[in-house]
Amino acid sequence: MKFLDTPPRFLFFTGKGGVGKTSLACATAVRFAQAGRTVLLVSTDPASNVAQVFGQAIGNALTAIAEVPNLTALEIDPEAAAQAYRDRIVGPVRGVLPDDVVRGIEEQLSGACTTEIAAFDEFTGLLTDGELMRAFDHIVFDTAPTGHTIRLLQLPSAWTGFLDNSDTGASCLGPLAGLDKQREQYRAAVAALADAERTRLVLVARAQASTLREVARTHDELAALGLTRQHLVINGVLPGDEAGNDALAAAIVRRESAALAGLPAELAGLPVDRVPLMPFNLVGLPALKALLDPGASGPQDASDVAGAHPALPGLAALVDQIAADGHGLVMLMGKGGVGKTTLAAAVAVDLARRGLPVHLTTSDPAAHLAETLEGGGLAALTVSRIDPHAETERYRAHVLETKGRDLDAQGRALLEEDLRSPCTEEIAVFQAFSRIIREAGKKFVVMDTAPTGHTLLLLDATGAYHREMARHMQKSGIHHYTTPMMQLQDPAQTKVLIVTLAETTPVLEAARLQDDLRRAGIAPWGWIINNSVAAAHTASPLLARRAAREWPQIEAVREQHARRVALLPLQAEEPVGVARLQALAAGQS
Amino acid sequence: MKTIQIFDPALCCPTGVCGTEVDQALVTAAADLDWAKGQGARIERYSLAQQPLAFAKNAVVKGFLERSGQEALPLVLVDGEVALAGRYPNRAELARWAGLAVVPAVENSCCSGGRCC
Repeated sequence: MKFLDTPPRFLFFTGKGGVGKTSLACATAVRFAQAGRTVLLVSTDPASNVAQVFGQAIGNALTAIAEVPNLTALEIDPEAAAQAYRDRIVGPVRGVLPDDVVRGIEEQLSGACTTEIAAFDEFTGLLTDGELMRAFDHIVFDTAPTGHTIRLLQLPSAWTGFLDNSDTGASCLGPLAGLDKQREQYRAAVAALADAERTRLVLVARAQASTLREVARTHDELAALGLTRQHLVINGVLPGDEAGNDALAAAIVRRESAALAGLPAELAGLPVDRVPLMPFNLVGLPALKALLDPGASGPQDASDVAGAHPALPGLAALVDQIAADGHGLVMLMGKGGVGKTTLAAAVAVDLARRGLPVHLTTSDPAAHLAETLEGGGLAALTVSRIDPHAETERYRAHVLETKGRDLDAQGRALLEEDLRSPCTEEIAVFQAFSRIIREAGKKFVVMDTAPTGHTLLLLDATGAYHREMARHMQKSGIHHYTTPMMQLQDPAQTKVLIVTLAETTPVLEAARLQDDLRRAGIAPWGWIINNSVAAAHTASPLLARRAAREWPQIEAVREQHARRVALLPLQAEEPVGVARLQALAAGQS
Repeated sequence: MKTIQIFDPALCCPTGVCGTEVDQALVTAAADLDWAKGQGARIERYSLAQQPLAFAKNAVVKGFLERSGQEALPLVLVDGEVALAGRYPNRAELARWAGLAVVPAVENSCCSGGRCC
């Protein structure tokens, strides 16, 4: 494996959700540690699974991994980091200022921006902490899904640039105000990331045309930040000899080799490794060792869970019930890589096919989906995309035009500077989000959301907006109003569909997401188990072993988690285009 | 020169652009304060969200918060005495407190720097 050769101090594993970043990062850390190097494994994913992989609690402090000498792990918990930041500010005045004032301060400091900055502060600390450098030969980062990671990696430059250029002193530093001493730290972090001697970036992908196109974009964006030393790892490739007697396996092998043959030009120059699909879950030490060492035998299966299993309904059954309401917001949520975008499109297509007006909106940069659908001739369907960059620009222009209209040149310059604060991106995306969901009163709005961590931040913003608006309305004596949050909490308006795969980690993560949503007063309406091998009938021995392990997870979803559930089989062809999406919704594969 | 102190409510930033709604009063106030500073006025600005200790340590501000609550902010002190509460000062007020020359009309500003728009 080329990505393991002469490793520098920092290794980042990045890529969209579900491609196996955590497994590869953990396996790499284990391998280095067993070669006698001291290793720190860091997860920057707000929904980290490292603890589960090693079967021990980790959390927000350096924790030795019991089973692996030389290996220490750390999960950056954005919420805990934000809480620590709040305590630092609020602690000294608690009991001194009136209680409701203290509560007001805490509320102001619980927005998405504070959380992000606090996590980012901790992240740059890791890149620049001299003590850690002495203690560890390597720091391996298992990062959150791409969008979040690019933002995390861009923030040191963004904030450094912003701090360097703001000399008026009255700028929108948000939660960074009073953290002047951090400037040096951010600058040093930028330097460490751009230093090819110190930093290697491992792009993890699946052998899937759309995924590889997205990785090519990630490659460009990160190279632009100076992270030039990149490797590509294609994970979970189905071995060619599985194609033997099984039509599904043959189709997958065919589709994967076609995707690899058409590797985007930007990626063709990178060192590439292929890691085969394993028949077992990547949890526990034997599994991790086997992942990067073809000679090692992985964990042995418990006896196959054969026998009869209940048939579960497909997507059409859920869409029937959604359609009956005539309008409303349908949100698909879940970790990355579970197929939210595809399923959102399938739901939208199936609603539009019935002649119902539908607006499908996605934050996924995979624009090809929008293109195929636009050309698909479904008159009732409109497609849009929330692009954070475009939304931020739009927001800046709007504020300058309206609120900045009567300012003099100097005042406008000040406002413009404040609008360059990285904090404004969250607001801009939230506003785009609330603009779109207002439409759901008259038609169907089907929304594909960003991976879990980011979705939760968006909900935070929604909650903060709701509280602010409620306060405002109370002051003006207005009692009839609807905030986006109230819309999300109203089951007559909003149906949240949680998407998962029939595997241990995704199911656990989906259950955690459901708990978070319930805490926010949102009751998920149904679950979709996607890409199930168990539902697909296969004679491939490798796929059959995976299928056998899916059933207990399917049972868990049905019995413990979901009020309504749909089960969708793994597709032989990628479900792209109106016809295939319709077939997916109708349950024909 | 007199010192003007502004005690802001719990904002994320002085112009409010990273809040959920951008308040025109905040945007205008930020521009006016920046203008007065440029004229040499001595201005200090404290945010309840980021510098609550400054509120707690000032007896006048602390008393004001206890009496009227955070809803009554902003509070403006000139040389330590209450000059204004519940809204931000305009340019004329700032000029009077700081002893500055009369405020130029806002209309002219678009031609400032010799480049007319």
